[in-house]
Amino acid sequence: MDAINAEIFTLTYGSMVRQLIADLEDVNEVNKQLDTMGYNIGIRLIDEFLAKSKTGKCIDFRDTADKIAKVGFKMFLNTSAAVANWNADSTECSLILEDNPLTDFVELPENYAGLSYCNVLCGVIRGALEMVNINVSCSFVKDVLRGDDVSELRLKLLSQMHETYPYKDDD
Amino acid sequence: MPAIYALYVINKSGGLIYNKEFVVMASNNLNDTLRLASIWHSLHAIAAQLSPAPGCTGIELLQADTFDLHCFQTLTGTKMLMVVEPNTPDVDILLRDTIYDLYCDYVLKNPFYEVEMPIRCELFDSNLFQTINNVHRRWGLLH
Amino acid sequence: MFSSPLYRLNIVDRPLAKGKGEVSLSAFSFLFSELVQYCQTRVSNIGELERRLEDIGVGVGLRLLEILCFREKNSKRDIRLLDVLKFVHTSLWKYLFGRQAKDLEQSNTAEDEYMISDYDLFVNKYISVPKDMGALNCAAFVAGIVKGVLDGAGFRARVTAHFVPVKGQPKPKTTILMKFDSVVLAREHRLPSL
Repeated sequence: MDAINAEIFTLTYGSMVRQLIADLEDVNEVNKQLDTMGYNIGIRLIDEFLAKSKTGKCIDFRDTADKIAKVGFKMFLNTSAAVANWNADSTECSLILEDNPLTDFVELPENYAGLSYCNVLCGVIRGALEMVNINVSCSFVKDVLRGDDVSELRLKLLSQMHETYPYKDDD
Repeated sequence: MPAIYALYVINKSGGLIYNKEFVVMASNNLNDTLRLASIWHSLHAIAAQLSPAPGCTGIELLQADTFDLHCFQTLTGTKMLMVVEPNTPDVDILLRDTIYDLYCDYVLKNPFYEVEMPIRCELFDSNLFQTINNVHRRWGLLH
Repeated sequence: MFSSPLYRLNIVDRPLAKGKGEVSLSAFSFLFSELVQYCQTRVSNIGELERRLEDIGVGVGLRLLEILCFREKNSKRDIRLLDVLKFVHTSLWKYLFGRQAKDLEQSNTAEDEYMISDYDLFVNKYISVPKDMGALNCAAFVAGIVKGVLDGAGFRARVTAHFVPVKGQPKPKTTILMKFDSVVLAREHRLPSL
């Protein structure tokens, strides 16, 4: 795949976040907007992920999480995440970001302490999975920019439709 | 002689969102094509349910006396149909690898494209034509 | 086990990375596409859309100037107009696009206007502008980066991006037009000629 200097990506994202703060003036609104923008990206990006990774259907949610962490993050952000902290029935896990190009150069000022700077990633994952009929919720539970030792995304499986499109009439 | 006649893209709901013919076809009436898209969409779904084979996802190839119709469905539910001369080789690979890539690049990354809506992207058209021309050239149809 | 002790240091006490890392062009393209779509929801015409993309570029350019001067010029920055233009044409372009820009020229008609032209800027790689949006060029973002670099270096300018058709080429080139503030030229004239 074609690549570009990661800093251009990092700075563009940063400039976008600054613009959102200027436009929306409220940290919570910015967090929501980042998630929405991520979702819009996710519903498009999934096709490239499928096309380039030549991946088939996931066997189960564990497989899904692994593919996001090892293939997805690698393909697009040239980094990878670790999957950890599974719950007992394998419907919830954490993605722990080892290295995150979005946050290079970034330090949150005190007045933006509530900003979930990388929230776009949550939206991307949610949007991408929705397109393959897996509904999840996704949010940051730890964030290095807010002083945690790692960045951790919590991924929860809400429902999974086994039918492919188009659904049966009684769905 | 292998040859590619047309490419159609059908969205998740069975709507025709792209329609390009590479040769002059006997019936290139838009209404016929729209009908083809929605009928194919339904037949594809019915076939997947009727099939005795486990894990069937729908019709991949329809062979007629005068043409073959290949269908590639992405895991996200978009269908790409290609009408070709009977026995044209490797059409499934062309759809899955090349055309799908072009769709990701020049349709999905275009900020002026709205998902599920008709595809009007100049760069998709031009890159598609180039791809089809290259394939035809390889087959000796163009010089 | 994933925590790096560097994160405990204040950000300015950490060494500046070498800047050799890469991400996929796809990641950038999807982000940029969404950025353009977001901007579209907050403007009423194409001029405003370009202005917004430019503003976002400015934020990138201001920071790139610092990074590039630090890395490549031992923290010195140019103070003469021609040197700054060369810096944009060569160092900045190489950093952004992996090569220097094709052309750098002064306008025939205006002393305060300079142009950098190039083909295939990656920001436009996957973008088809609909006919009804006319002359829109999303490289306004790149114009903004250039403006950020120039402003940051003390060379205030109005910077815009334009498609220019070229004879014998299927695709138009993009020209980044820089029109410098009169203060900049007056200062330049006061300095000894090189």
